[in-house]
Amino acid sequence: MVLEATMICIDNSEWMRNGDYSPSRFQAQADAVNLICGAKTQSNPENTVGVLTMAGKGVRVLVTPTSDLGKILACMHGLEIGGEMNLAAGIQVAQLALKHRQNKKQQQRIIVFAGSPIKHDKKSLEMIGRKLKKNSVALDIVNFGEDDEGKMEKLEALLAAVNNNDTSHIVHVSAGPNALSDVLMSTPIFTGDGEGGSGFAAAAAAAAAAGGVSGFEFGVDPNLDPELALALRVSMEEERARQEAAAKKAAEEASKQEKGGEEQSSSQEATMTEHASGGTSEADNKKNDLSDDDNALLQQALAMSMDEPASSHDLQDMEMPDVAADDPELALALQLSVQDSTKDSSSQTDMSKLLADQSFVSSILASLPGVDPNDPSVKEVLASMQSQSEKQDEDKATEEEEK
Amino acid sequence: MACTHDHSCEDHDCSSNWSLYKHIDLPKVTALNEANPGSVKSVFKAWEERLNSSGENLESNEGDPELLVYIPFTSDVKIKSVSVVGGADGASPSKMRVFINRDGIDFSDAQSMQPVQEWDLIENLQGVVEYQTRYSKFQSVASITLHFPESFGGDTTQIHYIGFKGEATQLKRDVVATIVYEITPNPSDHKTRAETGGGLSHVE
Repeated sequence: MVLEATMICIDNSEWMRNGDYSPSRFQAQADAVNLICGAKTQSNPENTVGVLTMAGKGVRVLVTPTSDLGKILACMHGLEIGGEMNLAAGIQVAQLALKHRQNKKQQQRIIVFAGSPIKHDKKSLEMIGRKLKKNSVALDIVNFGEDDEGKMEKLEALLAAVNNNDTSHIVHVSAGPNALSDVLMSTPIFTGDGEGGSGFAAAAAAAAAAGGVSGFEFGVDPNLDPELALALRVSMEEERARQEAAAKKAAEEASKQEKGGEEQSSSQEATMTEHASGGTSEADNKKNDLSDDDNALLQQALAMSMDEPASSHDLQDMEMPDVAADDPELALALQLSVQDSTKDSSSQTDMSKLLADQSFVSSILASLPGVDPNDPSVKEVLASMQSQSEKQDEDKATEEEEK
Repeated sequence: MACTHDHSCEDHDCSSNWSLYKHIDLPKVTALNEANPGSVKSVFKAWEERLNSSGENLESNEGDPELLVYIPFTSDVKIKSVSVVGGADGASPSKMRVFINRDGIDFSDAQSMQPVQEWDLIENLQGVVEYQTRYSKFQSVASITLHFPESFGGDTTQIHYIGFKGEATQLKRDVVATIVYEITPNPSDHKTRAETGGGLSHVE
């Protein structure tokens, strides 16, 4: 959240036509510039960003430091590639532009994209660096594109001359499948001196990472598309409720038989998602403690005396007979799972069941910007929630044994 | 002997004269070309501690003895004189140029602008020399910028203490921070006397 005025120096020399960064070096640079502008303005609304080009006919300031993102994006249009980059002049003009910033309280920073060979010698670059340091201007260098001998050395020397207490950075990006902007997102240039990730960068990184892999229930990230996730979850619950009602009906008609290991697999059939099976297998473990048919009957009575879940089951009793006739054991299993999960759901809402699922919670937390799942306080909370749900389960188990 | 007054110091406490350091807005003090960022704040202390160089001091970067120190005050002050204690072995500043009530001066500005006053300093290791100001120009100082362009031949410039003698007024040269601007007037905010119960209205 540092208040900062930034000047970005773009390399629009002939070397930027090359396509080794997709789609072309210049386009990759433009994308990176857009991302940086967004990140800076988001980390502090009073930050300003300006842009200048270093090649072409000469150093040209496209936009002086402003917090208006639209202006910056507009000026990136229609830029022409040509000429040779003049690094020294570019940095000096950037320094001058920063000197005349409107808000003198802002820290000064220059970000340079060095894509073409550097024709200045190390000495003059070091002098420039020292001048920047003297005026407390920080410098970030993005070294990409051409890699002739001495370029890395010169840039490192420049960085050493400027660097004051690690406020300046250099990043080397080599050509490859990763986009320039993606590589930059994880660097201190984006995250701002290790302050812990601006929200923008963290969210962008999370979105990129979570794109392919989804550890979430329905293959949909609740953060990205909460309505869809909610709709999927609701329809899942309804389907499960319907199924449980059908199972209960069958159990009322079928004779009671042994429970046992079959419950596990048959309850698997009745459920569709890993989560639901988690819920019912949890219920099944408790059922293994039951020794009596009477217990089951008693629970059924209890379940029926509970509020809405039980009443909704009555409406759907008719669907059961077919299922029941075929496999009485299946029916029994379903019935028991119904009883226990109705008890579950009445004592513990679906939401808290979800919350009790450790993996779900940690994946949600991981995608929240600014929350680090490895943070000890977060771990504590998770552990306490988990122990809370375990405690609830234990309570229920002891309750049942007493009967 | 701690001061060059022609009286003995037991009569009054010299340090009370040099108490303007209490009115310095320390968090906002900045310096350019300092080797350790933030070390400039350590040079503002009580008169008794001016020779106490056990803590940090302000040092310029290697090979470049130029220093620029920006000091804002919490209220307007009148400055009678300034005292500077430098480092040994030529690391003391040899000249001092000051600018008043200007923010955001950097080296190129400082070198080209005409200062309000400038002094040739001596190597004042004991802190007994004070430099008088042209008092009429230093009547309402909200911020002062000290520029030390050179040292006595040392590679760097070190400053252990900067003290100001003078008076603090209670005036604040502050920007009004909590103004509420109206886009459209809200009649309930502007009750006239007629509405609140009547009375003679008059035009002023």
